[in-house]
Amino acid sequence: MIKYILIALAVGVAGGYVVNNFAAGFPFGWVTDYLFNASLFVLLFVMGLAFGIDEEAVAKLKGTGFKVLVVPFVVALGSILGGLVGGLIFRLDLFGSMAVTAGFGWYTLAGPLLTQILGTQWGALGFATNFLRELLTIVTVSLLVRVDKYAPVAAGGATTMDTTLPVIVRYCGSDVLITAFSSGFALSMAAPFTVLAIASVK
Amino acid sequence: MLSLTMLLLVVPLAVGIVSGFVLRERKVVNLGRVTFGVILVLIFSLGFTIGSNNDLLASLPTVGLSAFVMAVLAIGFSVLFVVLVRRKVKL
Repeated sequence: MIKYILIALAVGVAGGYVVNNFAAGFPFGWVTDYLFNASLFVLLFVMGLAFGIDEEAVAKLKGTGFKVLVVPFVVALGSILGGLVGGLIFRLDLFGSMAVTAGFGWYTLAGPLLTQILGTQWGALGFATNFLRELLTIVTVSLLVRVDKYAPVAAGGATTMDTTLPVIVRYCGSDVLITAFSSGFALSMAAPFTVLAIASVK
Repeated sequence: MLSLTMLLLVVPLAVGIVSGFVLRERKVVNLGRVTFGVILVLIFSLGFTIGSNNDLLASLPTVGLSAFVMAVLAIGFSVLFVVLVRRKVKL
């Protein structure tokens, strides 16, 4: 299954590159906005449907309540700690490196935001780090799920409300849907503030 | 910075869940194959967005190694913390 996902990703990257550089005038929005959002909306509906029908999934969710908020909180802490350790390894400015991982995988946010505040170098690092986080989550989901049922949710960070959600639900089951979505949602809400706050300390 | 689309994502999810509750009696749903096809479309368009972003592609050779290590560290500590918390509070 992961094989087809990787092929789809590779074909997409190659297609996007070729079209962007060799086919001027191609309506990009059609793929990057319409196709992306349409498929995402369909998937969210279907995942919601599967969740609503699955009595066990709903039962498992009951009683978790506020604990659902604990996941994004510790994921935020873990991400920023990862940035700190990374900064120590590569001898970077520690607030800069923490701001990079405080994007929680949302590369289209962290890249431009860090470029604006800290300059191109940090922007590039923010772009690449968060992009690789999303990519690694998709690629390693089948391994992560063996570590812990919620490990892919932790890995995905802010991306678990959209891009990585279908893949995660596919591997972890319907009952992680709400935790994954709400964790991704909370981290997406937090990311602009965490990046901005930590970067402005530097 | 928070796009409207992001907030709108709650809508199809909520509609799906409510429909699921309503359809519960009928038990007709087997959407596995269809869903997987749509997942591939989603991943393809994600790849397309990445591939058509020259800034992103240009950043990879220069910062690739540190970015990779930092992504792995961020994932690693996030997973570690969630696993530890799950042992404590049983999510």
